[in-house]
Amino acid sequence: MTSAAQVTREVVRIPERFPARRAWWMMFSGALLLVGLFFVSLGVLFARGPGVWGNNIPVNWGFPIANYIWWLGIGHAGTMISAMLLLAGQTWRNSLNRFAEAMTLFAAGVAGLYPILHLGRPWRFYWMALYPNTMDMYPQFRSPLSWDFFAILVYLIVSLMFWYIGIMPDLASARDRATKRRWQIFFGLGAMGWRGSAMHWARWRQAYRLTAALALALVPMVTATYALLLAGGPIPGWNSTIYAPYFLVGAIFSGFAIVSILAIGLRHFLNLGDLITLFHLDRLGMLLLVTGLMTAYGYLADAFTAAYSGSHELRTLMDRVSGPYAWSYWGAVLCNFVPLQLLWWRRFRTSPLALGLISLSVAIGMWLERYMLLVTGLYRDWLESSVGYFSATFWDWSLFAGTIGLFMMLFLLFVRFLPVISAFETKEAMDPAND
Amino acid sequence: MSEDNLDSAMAQVRAASGRRYWRTLDELVDRPEFRRKLRQKFPALFGTAAEFNRRDLLKCLGGTIALAGLDGCEREPDEEALPYVVQPEGMVPGEARLYASAIEMDGVAQPILGETRAARPIKLDGNIEHPACLGGSTPFIQAALLELYDPDRSGAPLFMGRTDDWARFDRTQAELRMRLDASGGKGFRLLTGPVGSPTMLGQIEALLARWPEARWHSWSPIADRRSAMIEQWLGTPAKRVLHLAEAEAVVSFDDDLLGPGPDQLWHANGWGARRRAYQEGQGAALLFGAEPSPTITGVTAGERLAASEPRMGVLLGGLAAELGMGAPVALTGRERAWVQSAGDALQAHAGRSLVSVGAHHAPELHRLALAINQRLDNVGTTERFLQSATTLQPAALAPLVGEMRAGQVAALFVLGANPVYTAPGELNFADAFARVPLRIHAGLHANETGARSHWHLPLAQDLEAWSDGRGSEGTAVISQPLVRPWLAVRSRHRLLADLMDDRRSDLALVQDQWSDELDEAGWEMALLTGRIPDSAPLPIAATPSATAPPLIPPRAGSTLHLSIRPDPSIWDGSYATNPWLQELPKPLTKLTWGNAIHVSPDLALERGLQNGDLVRLSVSGRSVIGPAWVLPGQARDTVLVHLGYGQREGGRVAENLGFDAYPLLGASGEVVIAKLDEEERLATTQHHFEMEEDEYIRFVETASDALPPEPPKAHFYPPLNSKPAWAMAIDLDLCIGCNACVVACVAENNIPMVGKEEVAKGREMHWLRVDRYYEGRPEDPNHAFQPVPCMHCENAPCEMGCPVNAAVHSPDGLNLQVYNRCIGTRTCSSYCPYKVRRFNWFDYTGEDAPEMKAARNPEVTVRSRGVMEKCTYCIQRISKARIEAKKEGRPIRDGEVQTACQSACPTQAIVFGDQSDADTAVSRRKANGRNYDLLPEANTRPRTTYQARIRKGTREA
Repeated sequence: MTSAAQVTREVVRIPERFPARRAWWMMFSGALLLVGLFFVSLGVLFARGPGVWGNNIPVNWGFPIANYIWWLGIGHAGTMISAMLLLAGQTWRNSLNRFAEAMTLFAAGVAGLYPILHLGRPWRFYWMALYPNTMDMYPQFRSPLSWDFFAILVYLIVSLMFWYIGIMPDLASARDRATKRRWQIFFGLGAMGWRGSAMHWARWRQAYRLTAALALALVPMVTATYALLLAGGPIPGWNSTIYAPYFLVGAIFSGFAIVSILAIGLRHFLNLGDLITLFHLDRLGMLLLVTGLMTAYGYLADAFTAAYSGSHELRTLMDRVSGPYAWSYWGAVLCNFVPLQLLWWRRFRTSPLALGLISLSVAIGMWLERYMLLVTGLYRDWLESSVGYFSATFWDWSLFAGTIGLFMMLFLLFVRFLPVISAFETKEAMDPAND
Repeated sequence: MSEDNLDSAMAQVRAASGRRYWRTLDELVDRPEFRRKLRQKFPALFGTAAEFNRRDLLKCLGGTIALAGLDGCEREPDEEALPYVVQPEGMVPGEARLYASAIEMDGVAQPILGETRAARPIKLDGNIEHPACLGGSTPFIQAALLELYDPDRSGAPLFMGRTDDWARFDRTQAELRMRLDASGGKGFRLLTGPVGSPTMLGQIEALLARWPEARWHSWSPIADRRSAMIEQWLGTPAKRVLHLAEAEAVVSFDDDLLGPGPDQLWHANGWGARRRAYQEGQGAALLFGAEPSPTITGVTAGERLAASEPRMGVLLGGLAAELGMGAPVALTGRERAWVQSAGDALQAHAGRSLVSVGAHHAPELHRLALAINQRLDNVGTTERFLQSATTLQPAALAPLVGEMRAGQVAALFVLGANPVYTAPGELNFADAFARVPLRIHAGLHANETGARSHWHLPLAQDLEAWSDGRGSEGTAVISQPLVRPWLAVRSRHRLLADLMDDRRSDLALVQDQWSDELDEAGWEMALLTGRIPDSAPLPIAATPSATAPPLIPPRAGSTLHLSIRPDPSIWDGSYATNPWLQELPKPLTKLTWGNAIHVSPDLALERGLQNGDLVRLSVSGRSVIGPAWVLPGQARDTVLVHLGYGQREGGRVAENLGFDAYPLLGASGEVVIAKLDEEERLATTQHHFEMEEDEYIRFVETASDALPPEPPKAHFYPPLNSKPAWAMAIDLDLCIGCNACVVACVAENNIPMVGKEEVAKGREMHWLRVDRYYEGRPEDPNHAFQPVPCMHCENAPCEMGCPVNAAVHSPDGLNLQVYNRCIGTRTCSSYCPYKVRRFNWFDYTGEDAPEMKAARNPEVTVRSRGVMEKCTYCIQRISKARIEAKKEGRPIRDGEVQTACQSACPTQAIVFGDQSDADTAVSRRKANGRNYDLLPEANTRPRTTYQARIRKGTREA
């Protein structure tokens, strides 16, 4: 059993005496390379136009929107773990919430780039915003895109607030323990004069819970707006009310997979085995299993609705399971649900390697699902004459790899310089008086 | 610098008194006498080398600045050209002017009305004042505009491949003239394509009269074995004219009457008129087609039979037997049924029916068809023969090649044709050509022939020269220039006149040709209206009866048969430089930017061929390699290839696309196809053609039938009541899939061409596409065409999706796209059930050549990168009509607004107007029981609707 002081020391000393410098540098340089690729892809995109991708008519939306939904989905898991479990009083979350929140922030930020990059004229993206202008124009409020724009903006702001409020007490601990001047200033600025008075704690608790409630409510709203992106149009395979709940569970599912991967990674490289314990992995595995089964239910419900409505919807379903993009459908089913079944056994849930691999499979499977939903919806819709095939180009992949690099870079910087685990909340959970 | 020059220079240095300093050997030998010598030996070097001193340079600079001001002046058409509509004094700047003129296709004049703005031609359409045009146009007429502005056109004479000037050619020409005068034209040969211009025929006649030893040869790769038969039969050359407007039953044996070609407009007009009359209850409109591979004619036919080329004779014999004109022949069940119903229809409409055989078939078939037509009393009504306006007949290509090879040709003047590329492989023209001591080529492009000639002369395009011609039905037209040439080009009349030292201007040449028929007022009238009244040659009154010849039975065996046809988009290759036609999806395959080896579904299955598999096609030792294309409806044992591709020279657009099928032309023998282990990515605009259970195309049995009524649907939004309510009706029963509307839309709306790679990615920009569907078995399907512009839905899903209000509805019911508001989210296109929206994935227009920019319609915005665009119902034309109507204080009249696709349609399948008024043409069309919405289940309330196809061509049961 670790003591309260040990916890603080263990967490807060990480930035100052980083335990895995070598591994960090290797990963960080890998991430930087990918970020380089990101900027090259961006340059090519801006210089030449969205034609560098594989998109066409009818597949107007390809990688950018699929990746957007995927990244945002990943982000949602952080909010869920942190806010939902906080409000539900599940204190075991305290070992996971900090980095999960950071993951949310970075994933949502990366996701938010995509809808802008995807525009034909990205330099005009602010026309989607509601702002007073000389053209006397408002956004078009019937469009799901307008709401999507608002939703992701609000979500980013609230996620940032939530994460920052949560990290503030730990920044103060780090400030107090820092021996070097530069670290003291760095953490001191971040702590915003936190002294740990009872009043501070009371105000903090109010703010934190309020923001948690806000963030939690935002998750289904955001998933609903981007579900509307698909469901809003009369496209067979898209035009369905199932998308909002379907995207919600799918998002959390993929997010938990990434949380698991990050937890296992941190646990391994930062020697945090006593804070992120096998118990946490077990819980993560259970959550993954549950959300996975809910997602599988979504697949079934979607298929049922399509079969029930018949005609074009049914044809799209048949096309998904047996058409030219069937690999993405069956790939998604295979990656998402088959290895997942191992998680029924505690042995696999508590094996870091097994859980990590299953999570990776889910991340890939959920990406395939996003791809499948977009491409099979668009490549063949109403008229047989307008069937057109999509194939991704190098720049599609390079931008995707670049955003992974961007995410990794941000996350590694966070790991390197900020307390990755909520020390005070972990201590809180250990305090028997707090029960 | 040669040795002896150096030697003589050294000698001079030695001989010179006193000291002489020299810096380089070049300077030493660079003396006036040496320069003279050099100029004699290598004149081309002197045309280009600039010799300037400072003073000359300054003079030139001053001159350039002064002349630059002149360039600002508008280039007017020739003063003598007269606008179609009488204008008030002077020109209103910015106003369009229409000129009646003509362009030529394979010697047949296509009467046009050319719209010019600021003295730039920007749009061509058929001239309805000319009897050969009842309205509409063809893709070739539409695209002739771009040919004018082709940046790769030759702009200066080339001597041995180097830019030279006309003055030097004039000297060569003068020498040649002296030689020819001395020898009576011995060894001089003129080679042209088909010639229809009376002025040019007059010039050739004069040339042959002046130099009796000279010969005129003509070559067209489009086989015509019918004219010779007719000449033999009548004893005099005659022009055959078909009047489809009067033909209630037409039986075509591999004759693509409605398909691309010089008579397409005339025939399609006739068919459209006949079919509309049938719809209104006047007579029948029956079309039967037997053909080896689907053509526009065959797929329009109510009853189509797929049969290989050698089978045509048998079928024709069967038809003759059916009509009691010969012994019965052995036919299959399917063939017999077809022949019987064709025979019945012909007999039922005797005197108003027609049998026609493709011009490439053997003379015996034409003779038999003629006998049938005579028997049915069709000659003189649906099939007429006109006296040939000239007795001058050109010689063929083959004897010319023989003479060239034998060294009997001293000078060959190739005017307009490209025989090095288009001559049949067996003639080996290029080799023989190389033996001719003086080779002169005149053409629009420095093509294969130009590159192998001593002189390549740039020819004026039809729109920048005076000329004349005869339309499909014989009436003559004066072709007046719409614009002054901006390149150093000469017209074909000028070239021939210069050769004979005839100093008359082009205009005078044409005027003198018609001086007997036209006085001054008549000339003006001919220019204004675009026709010379009563100028059609007289019909041949008494025709001798044609005897039915015994038909040669086809070779037995199951070998493959090769059909070689001109390409539907770029014809024999003469339009290969035209991007509008290259990117035009071919009516039946929807392929662009290339040709293919077309095989039947059965053959593909047997040989394991799929679209895009590379195939080697060999006939008697000559072979080509091209991608396979499986074409449903093609006769089982037929292999079809299109001419016109695989050009090696002649401009960036034409070069290195597809494969050259000319080596196979004229080859006979075993046809062998072998699959290679490679694939080629073909650029097609439509991948799927099956209708499955959908009713994109609807059918009724006869013209009096109606479709079952559509149950009314609930709508979330209130109905859109606007006045006017612009709407379009497209009658699928009249649409023949000719693509004229597609090119007209491109020309009107500045639609960019994107090239093969982009089309293959699915990024073509056409606002209007013609979808094609199959129904039934792949071996023998029913075909249907469906032009799809924007539907201008009243409940438009695109408008709901746009976050920035770029897709909005106008008060008069148009679905608008505001380009400068669009940020390119592409939601509108994702939500569009018809996928009619097009996106600028790159900057497709910014780097266009200045010439191409000049071809643009100034009334239509050129779209930038990253914005969505689509059909606007030609909003610029609506605005123009609205402004005119407002000025006159009246509502817009019905028919005042014609969309570009509507005015281009040769069968009047497209009608546009105000549907809020029940008395407009479009409302009457929509009141028709055949009216239906495309995708009613999408519940979009489209303003564009369709009229169902009618399966039968007669009201009788």
